[in-house]
Amino acid sequence: MISSILQTILDVATRHKITTAIIGGLALPAYNVARTTLDIDICIKIQSQKQLNTFIEALKEKEINTIQEPKIVHDLFTVFGKRSEAEIWLKPCDAFQWDDQMVEKIQLFFGDVHVLAIEDYILTKLARSDRSSVDIDDVLKIIIANKDSLDWEYLHFRLKWVGLESDFIEIIKAFELDFNNNIRNISRDILDKFK
Amino acid sequence: MSQKKGKRAPIHITLADIERAYKKVEEFQRLIERGKTPERIFKDMLRLIEVDK
Repeated sequence: MISSILQTILDVATRHKITTAIIGGLALPAYNVARTTLDIDICIKIQSQKQLNTFIEALKEKEINTIQEPKIVHDLFTVFGKRSEAEIWLKPCDAFQWDDQMVEKIQLFFGDVHVLAIEDYILTKLARSDRSSVDIDDVLKIIIANKDSLDWEYLHFRLKWVGLESDFIEIIKAFELDFNNNIRNISRDILDKFK
Repeated sequence: MSQKKGKRAPIHITLADIERAYKKVEEFQRLIERGKTPERIFKDMLRLIEVDK
């Protein structure tokens, strides 16, 4: 059993055959990283306004409400349960939409909790319009913890797709800096894999 | 409901930033070695969020 609001949202989404993925800081343990966070962020793939309305009504029946009037063109809306709240995103990131490949690559974390493919998750961190230093720190940690399991080819493809190759190169330069100073093999490996 | 469009922070990573990232990854790995699972860590994070709210 996980948090009541999250579990209810996932249950309702499953019943309505809506694809979900946990995003934001809460998703980090799925990528072998953790830090404190105060937010529950879930992205869902909604096909139509009608489906969105049905979903919101079903949440309401479970005492999870929104004071907004979400539209399918919006980025996100906030829902409130008895003890907590969650942000429900209608796209994985404010900078890009879902596509079929991204949906296919969604991974099961445990139970009915799903997360984006690690490469797509990195993209959500780099592309968000209000990207902060915390997002960059998260990307650093994810690369270090997953250097051998990252699909570097797919990551290159996605970085090009969203126009963030030069930003990612800046991150990679940090590993060059580390290798030059600390001769850490993991940094060398990451530099080799990026090539 | 559409996210206010902010400004992406420029990427400027120092040696201290990368040292800290390596340390945080090691800390997570130590938790795993001590028997915590990523699932357990996720649930602990969720519990903290609910307590905080």
